[in-house]
Amino acid sequence: MKKLLLVLTIVFCSLAVVSANGTTEESAVAAAADDRIEITFWHALGDAARSGWIQDRVDEFNASQDTYVVTQEAKGSYRDTLQAAILADKQGNPPSLVHVFEVGSQLAYDSGIFMPIGDIGNFDTDDYIAPVLNYYTIDGKVNSIPFNSSSPVLYINTDKLVEAGFPADYVPDTFDDMIGAIETARERNVEGANISFALHAWYFEQWMAEQGAMLVNNDNGREARATEVNLTSDAAVKIGNFMKELGEKDIYSYTGRFEDWDGSDAIFKGGQSMFHITSTADLGNIAKAVEGSFTMGVGKLPIPAGEMRNGTVIGGGSIWVTKNQSEAQLEGARDFALFLTNTDNMISWHKLTGYYPVRNSSVDKLREEGWFTGDAKQLVAFNQLLTTISNSATAGALGGTLLDNRTIIEQAMQKILQGGDVMSALQEAKDIADAKLAEYNANF
Amino acid sequence: MNRKEPVWVHIILITASFFICFPLIFALIKSTQQLSVVTSASLIPGKEFFNNFKVVWNDYNLGRYIRNSLWISVWVASGKIVLSLLASHALVFYRFRGKSLIFGFIVITLMFPTEILILGLFELVSNQGASSLVQLIQWMFNPVEFFFAPTKYGFGWGDSTIGIIVPFLASATGVFLFRQHFLSIPKALADSARIDGANSFQFLTRIIIPMSKNTIGALALIQFVYVWDQYIWPRIIIRRSANQVVQVGLNMIVATGESVQWGQVMCATVIAIVPPLLVFALLYRAFMNGYALSSDK
Amino acid sequence: MKDDHGVFRSRFTVWLYLSPTILILAVFIFYPAWKSIILGFYRSNLFLGTRTFIGLENFRNLFTGILSPGFIQVMVQTVLFSTLVVLFGLSFSLFLAVQANKNVKGAKVYRMLLIWPFALSPAIAATIYLFMFNPEVGIVNTVFDALFGMRPRWLDSPVLAFFLVVAASVWKNIGYNIVFYLASLQSIPKTPLEAASIDGASRFQSFKMVMFPLLSPTTFFLLFTNLTFSFFDSFAIIDVLTKGGPIGPAPFFDNEGITTTLMYKVYLDGFGGSSNMGFAASEALVMMSIVAIFTFLQFRFLAKRVHYEG
Repeated sequence: MKKLLLVLTIVFCSLAVVSANGTTEESAVAAAADDRIEITFWHALGDAARSGWIQDRVDEFNASQDTYVVTQEAKGSYRDTLQAAILADKQGNPPSLVHVFEVGSQLAYDSGIFMPIGDIGNFDTDDYIAPVLNYYTIDGKVNSIPFNSSSPVLYINTDKLVEAGFPADYVPDTFDDMIGAIETARERNVEGANISFALHAWYFEQWMAEQGAMLVNNDNGREARATEVNLTSDAAVKIGNFMKELGEKDIYSYTGRFEDWDGSDAIFKGGQSMFHITSTADLGNIAKAVEGSFTMGVGKLPIPAGEMRNGTVIGGGSIWVTKNQSEAQLEGARDFALFLTNTDNMISWHKLTGYYPVRNSSVDKLREEGWFTGDAKQLVAFNQLLTTISNSATAGALGGTLLDNRTIIEQAMQKILQGGDVMSALQEAKDIADAKLAEYNANF
Repeated sequence: MNRKEPVWVHIILITASFFICFPLIFALIKSTQQLSVVTSASLIPGKEFFNNFKVVWNDYNLGRYIRNSLWISVWVASGKIVLSLLASHALVFYRFRGKSLIFGFIVITLMFPTEILILGLFELVSNQGASSLVQLIQWMFNPVEFFFAPTKYGFGWGDSTIGIIVPFLASATGVFLFRQHFLSIPKALADSARIDGANSFQFLTRIIIPMSKNTIGALALIQFVYVWDQYIWPRIIIRRSANQVVQVGLNMIVATGESVQWGQVMCATVIAIVPPLLVFALLYRAFMNGYALSSDK
Repeated sequence: MKDDHGVFRSRFTVWLYLSPTILILAVFIFYPAWKSIILGFYRSNLFLGTRTFIGLENFRNLFTGILSPGFIQVMVQTVLFSTLVVLFGLSFSLFLAVQANKNVKGAKVYRMLLIWPFALSPAIAATIYLFMFNPEVGIVNTVFDALFGMRPRWLDSPVLAFFLVVAASVWKNIGYNIVFYLASLQSIPKTPLEAASIDGASRFQSFKMVMFPLLSPTTFFLLFTNLTFSFFDSFAIIDVLTKGGPIGPAPFFDNEGITTTLMYKVYLDGFGGSSNMGFAASEALVMMSIVAIFTFLQFRFLAKRVHYEG
């Protein structure tokens, strides 16, 4: 018995070692045999599809010229990537390009290891879609190049909608419309008449922007460092009231975990909800997943009744350039960032992932190709983006503690869902958020 | 005492065994089922295990994670055994001043589990080292900076396996256990060894270690499982998935892809439990004997 | 009796044997532990790399002001959580170990079935639970639905989530506990028990009077390791199962997630969000003090109540 166990152990160990050997050290093997200038790109998209796409672009770029050689590496989550870059900079060996998520913008800015990409020579940014570029412009300078951008849209289980007696192309415009439709569906005993979306503060941020409201003071942190989080404004209370109603009427379905994208998508895919809200980046996947089980419709993100639609904040990530590198590296880094987001690459990026192509020329080309006529769902997403009014609200907030804010807001929303008082939950959230922001600002 | 045990003892034991074993059996069955059945209540084994295995092992990096974990566990467990053998050898068979002070110094570290130190340890391990020796020495000889300010220079081991091996090579538990065991060895043995002209190292390798197989086994088991189970430290210090350990890697498998592929996730958990289970089965006897020895005598 | 084994003498070699252990412990335990304490007196942000000495401000923020209700809630939760894990963990495993140690048919098989979770890691235990108790696709809810027509929300209703984490922890620990209890049960000499049974003591009496005192060293040892587990190693279970959520019931438990333990909060504050390392360090110091008190008590008890000859 004992010998058998020993043999088993040894077999297992050697199997593990041998079979994993093939994948050793795949990263950072720069073919720097010649004296080309090295450019490293750290990003947060570790899955095979997206990192594969990036690697393909890297190879193309490397083949297209012989001044620079680019390497790419996925560094884990957005947070990890930014943290790794900051640590690497302290160690005197920063990557050239770093992929930073939107709520990390202020952190990245404050860390002092980056420089505005707009400062590296002259290049044209007119082609980038205005609301997208808007987010990444700080102090009037283009700080980073938008890369993967998305916004939330409404996904509709059209079969349930029709069963509830609505026309198939009905799209609820407001919170009230949406709740009304669910109630009608429930009266008609439509199964799974629920609203599902991940409990994620991203939606809260979006709904603030749609109402033209600032999430933080000082013009959303763009005029001066933000010192207050506007969680008790009328706009915030409207969102709170919506959550309250969802909870009271028991029509909201989620997995209970914060920011559980997959879990809430599963609810919709499994036919357990009639309306679902999630990122435009999931259009392709979800459409494919529900094919054959039900018809899916897409509409603009519903907003509080009586509000003018300002549009959504662009979410996702952008590419930043670190400052502690040579002039030549800086130029190479910029060139690669521009190459990565050129017209054709943005088209294939969009087709692969559902992220917006962030250039007007890409959109035009897609339109010519007939991409939108074939897939009207994508058009809804685009219109939502293109009709966004460029102002400080839709430019999105800047603040050092936006990440903490997300948790604070999610906790407040959960409290409200569980029956808590809207105003006191929001007031408490505001107090905590302000205290954390003050604590962060005290670093300067 | 040969009282015949009534049926209820069996009932209790069977019920308890069921509840304790069910989750693992469940995971095992689910790892073999095909996609359409995994999320149903069906508990009939399927034939998908090897397909799931292939996917998690290659596409989701499980092979890599397991290899890293094995590598780390073997290094740390053996390091802990060797270093504690040496230290407790000195603590028991040598006569020197400050012995109890040193023992106290070692045992008091039991009060500081890794988790409690993560902030300080993180800075120490991930901060970059000083760029020159002069700089380092200047820092070290400035007591205010060195002792009373947050750590300035570190080892620069962030994101590397060294960062999860080296800080854990010593073990207070090991020293404690070996010391306990060594004290149970008759002193006469040491005396006669010395008279026979054996030096202390020969005494350790030829006499003490062969007599300590059970304690070594017990410690190997405890430490292997301890290192294999480590979670928070690798989670913080390792960023590249190529260097990640299996416990944290599991979480990434859960989060990979569009929706959770539970069959594959269960397959990964089943595989990840095999190495510690094998080590446990292998060393269980030694562990029981080693424990009985150290607690009885 | 302590020093009578010291037969070798040397100025030099003895330090050769000792130095690796001492060096590693000093550099990787004492120094960082001290630095964690120091960090608590600084305002330090991981992203910004700032270090400003701010005296006791972090500690003040723990106990007064807007952030303190959260911290105090987490302290209470941690105590509650640890108590439950230790209480259930030890009593189940002691009970089962005693049963499995009886002279029953197939005792060996039972023992095997009970102790294998020794090899179970917190992350694996939690991952399996995460699937089993998934409200939508988990087998537990499929069974509940069939039997009682309901699908409890295991992961998001506060009370259930809290007890689920407790259950996962108890399950994870049970193998470890039973192993130690079995080992010490098997090393108990049969004579006192036989004497007791000749004296006509009932089963329970003989357990209470004879066996329990003999098991007390193991119980103290397990008490300590289980406490350490519930303080620290439960991190993985929480991280996988609930990420510290959901918000607990008002009025007291609604400031932080109900399954957030001190350890998890240290992690969230120090390495999550905007990474306020200084604040997290001050929380870690509180935790360190609690552990220090427990350790001190353990050594006191071990020295007093438990009689080792060695």
